Amino acid sequence: MSNLQAGPFSNGKPAPSRFRFRPQRMFAAVEGVFDEDRFFLILSVFIGIFSALAVVCFRLAIDWTHLALLGPLPQAHTWRLFVVPSLAGLVVAALVLHVFPGIRGSGVNQTKAALYIYNGFIPFRTGIGKFLCAALAIGAGHSLGPEDPSLQIGASLASALGRQLQLSREKLRLMAPVGAAAGLAAAFNAPISAVLFVIEEVIGRWSAGILGSVVLSAVASVVVERWFMGVEPLFRIPVTTFQRPSELIAYAVLGIAGGVAAVIFANGIGFLRPRLKALPRWTQYFQPALAGLLIGLIGYFGAPQVMGAGYDFMDQAMHGQFVWQMFAALAALKILATTLSFVSGTPGGMFAPTLFIGAMLGGAVGGVERIFFPHLSASSGTYVLVGMGVLFAGFLRAPMTSVFMVLEVSGNYEIIVPVIVANTFAYVVSRSLQPTPIFDLLTRQDGLVLPSLEEEREEAILRVEDAMLPLPPIILSAADYVDAAARRIEDSTETTFPVRLQPSGWSAVTRELILRRLKEGKGEHTLGSLISPEPLPYLFPDLPLESALRFVQSNPMVPVVNRANPQKLEGIISSQSVFAKYGAKTGQG
Amino acid sequence: MFQFLTKLVPRSAIFVLMVLTLAAVVAFAAVSHLVARFNANQQSRGHRLYAQGMADLNAGAADRAIEEFRAALTCDRANPQYQLSLGRALRDTGRLDEAESYLESLWQRTPEDGTINLALARVAARGGSVDDAIRYYHNAMYGVWSTDPEANRRDARLELVEFLLRKGARAQAQSELVALAAFLPPDPTLHLRAGDLLAQAQDYPDALAEYERVLRLDHGNSTALTGAGEAASHAGRYGTAERYLQLAVNAKPQDATLRYLLSSANLILETDPFVRRISDAERNRRIAAAFAKAGERLSSCAKQRGVDLSGAANRSVSSSLSPSPTPPALAALESRWLATRRDLPRLRSAGETDLPEVIMDLVFQIEQQTAEDCGEPQGADQALLLISRDRETADR
Repeated sequence: MSNLQAGPFSNGKPAPSRFRFRPQRMFAAVEGVFDEDRFFLILSVFIGIFSALAVVCFRLAIDWTHLALLGPLPQAHTWRLFVVPSLAGLVVAALVLHVFPGIRGSGVNQTKAALYIYNGFIPFRTGIGKFLCAALAIGAGHSLGPEDPSLQIGASLASALGRQLQLSREKLRLMAPVGAAAGLAAAFNAPISAVLFVIEEVIGRWSAGILGSVVLSAVASVVVERWFMGVEPLFRIPVTTFQRPSELIAYAVLGIAGGVAAVIFANGIGFLRPRLKALPRWTQYFQPALAGLLIGLIGYFGAPQVMGAGYDFMDQAMHGQFVWQMFAALAALKILATTLSFVSGTPGGMFAPTLFIGAMLGGAVGGVERIFFPHLSASSGTYVLVGMGVLFAGFLRAPMTSVFMVLEVSGNYEIIVPVIVANTFAYVVSRSLQPTPIFDLLTRQDGLVLPSLEEEREEAILRVEDAMLPLPPIILSAADYVDAAARRIEDSTETTFPVRLQPSGWSAVTRELILRRLKEGKGEHTLGSLISPEPLPYLFPDLPLESALRFVQSNPMVPVVNRANPQKLEGIISSQSVFAKYGAKTGQG
Repeated sequence: MFQFLTKLVPRSAIFVLMVLTLAAVVAFAAVSHLVARFNANQQSRGHRLYAQGMADLNAGAADRAIEEFRAALTCDRANPQYQLSLGRALRDTGRLDEAESYLESLWQRTPEDGTINLALARVAARGGSVDDAIRYYHNAMYGVWSTDPEANRRDARLELVEFLLRKGARAQAQSELVALAAFLPPDPTLHLRAGDLLAQAQDYPDALAEYERVLRLDHGNSTALTGAGEAASHAGRYGTAERYLQLAVNAKPQDATLRYLLSSANLILETDPFVRRISDAERNRRIAAAFAKAGERLSSCAKQRGVDLSGAANRSVSSSLSPSPTPPALAALESRWLATRRDLPRLRSAGETDLPEVIMDLVFQIEQQTAEDCGEPQGADQALLLISRDRETADR
């Protein structure tokens, strides 16, 4: 990498420590036709294609490993169930510790860190390591999913491509989320959910600038993925119905249960992960193996369903194969198994386990509700489907993604209301009991602070109107004579007065200037001749208060005007009023 | 990975895009090859598991077969044959909801497929969902079949008829059978099955017609002879019944049921005064015999029920003086029987055209009432009762 030179779209800012930028502009010959923005959009499609190809290979690798190590459909009481994940854990631990450092965990946070801290840099080796180790771990039965690793594989591929093409730092930074969306879309076969998740969890804020590229890469990726893997959805979706609004209460109960389960799950990981990481380094060779052994024993003693991603069993759950007690047991065991796998540092994702736990929880809650209220019209499969979204909203704290994910996976819009109700309850309960979302918690445990869309969403935004001072009692006009203006301000205590310019715009004049001009004998001059013809900048009441910061330092006052009629003054703001408001919000005022 | 790009790039975006396109094509081809190989392996593994599952299913190990079908489906998720077999195995083990969901997902892809509709119909039939079962059976009857569509559609209709008969929907079963019979090929086995089902649906004339078609195709078919005899008996065509039953008894002389049916038919033919081609004298003799038999039956039944008929005789003598306002049914019949006995000698008179009907009406009423009060009779009384029922049916 060190031989890289400045890229074609270098923005002239200091280069990241690892790169040296080449002064030439690679695309100078076709500049205007392929400017960097357009090229980036086209590149997004290629990222989608390459990511999808990588994810297809990744899925084949998982399937092949699973078939080779555990067979097509593992049964309980088979010795392989605990031997295979244990041995795989040993191999994975050695690879993580010696060959692929930095591939522990899901990969979502690493991608986010690449965007915000490392200027979009994700080592290509990380992608390869994630591919190999996650495929081995998931295929061998560790309770993890392939989606988050796919996200990181896509991101690392995109990052490598961006570096090789020597994109500007700004674009290079965006390559990671574009690749992440492509990887996730291919893994999930759901482009909208992938785009939303990347915005909610990776980018962490709404940014129109990148949306086009993210969507293009996700769509290209899904098209390629379907080309190879077919258009079959992840699950055979049962017939789902929503007949009576009163049944929403049942879904609300499911949402509450999902919120509580999400908190238990998140707290388990949050509690164990730093403690295991703090153990001596030699123990890290055995942590994945021990996790594999324990998960294998769960499988051996009757619940092989909790091993691996578990999509086949979610499919069975949707079609009423389990009774509610089995549903509940599988949900609890999967929380345990996934916690063990994840905190041991085994590379793998939490998407699929989250869906699994949610599905089983939905089945259990639905089953119990139907015992007490047999008239409920929804099938067991409907609760399973809604439950998947519930834990997604409560645990991953991606409420929009959770709703669209269920809709995309099910292709059924009839259940949108139950999904929204249940997910909202899960999100609210989870947020009340556990203010920090799981990904933020993990980031902080790793010593990083990254932006969070949830915090942004929950944060009260200050607007201009919050710092706006009331309308001044005296508003002067540029056509007023100086002596008349002096008489008007005689009794006022204000030092600065707004002046309405002709034909439009606003300015300001100080008491001191008016009085001085009067003393100079210019009483018959208009105010317009005394003040600068350049109007003051003005603001609207609904703008974020941040937008006022640019103006209040260099102007004594900034008029706040009506959007429908800029000649109508709503109030004024000054540097004092703005800082007083910020001070009040942070408790320093 | 893409190091070569930077070395080759001659500062042109077009060139970069061309290289990327080429790389994508090469990668696409490589992944296609990989996927094709993987899929081929998976398919062969799936086939093996499926074959094993079918063997287990045939050996009666349905639970093991289900696991093997599931494993086969992990190799080829979209394979309709595996799904169908799994759905059927689940149905056969009583896991109807799951079976239905597998079959439903297949149905959503090919709603016109006869095999899937038939499998779904069987699931619905086992689950007791009559409307769904009928809908899927009809879909199967008019659906697309990959092999021998005519036979498959016919079998689906026959299965529907059997289901309807089990559910007691005789009228629906009859209409399905009539439609089926009209298009049956000249195959005695099929006509025989249709005849049996029509007989079960109590459509005896059509059943008889089907059995006769069988006999035209296979003259000595003893099952058809028996069926035809029984159907003709139930249809009140005792002459035909006697003919077929006689042939059936000749074929199976040791069959007691057949012999009993034949003797009943013979008795009816000997007892019935309304059969054609008998002389007036014979008819009058049969009427008188029937009348006497009905009187005996009435007396024995009254005795069995503890009803004193002596008062009825007196009432009959002095009926014009003090008629009983509401005599018990048996007593009233006894009164009428006694009163009619006085008219019996007038049977021989040529002018009495209504009297045979009046007498036989009374005979039939007595037989029906005594059957109601004292149970089904035997012998000549049973013959008279059957004749009365046939006449009632004919009148309706």
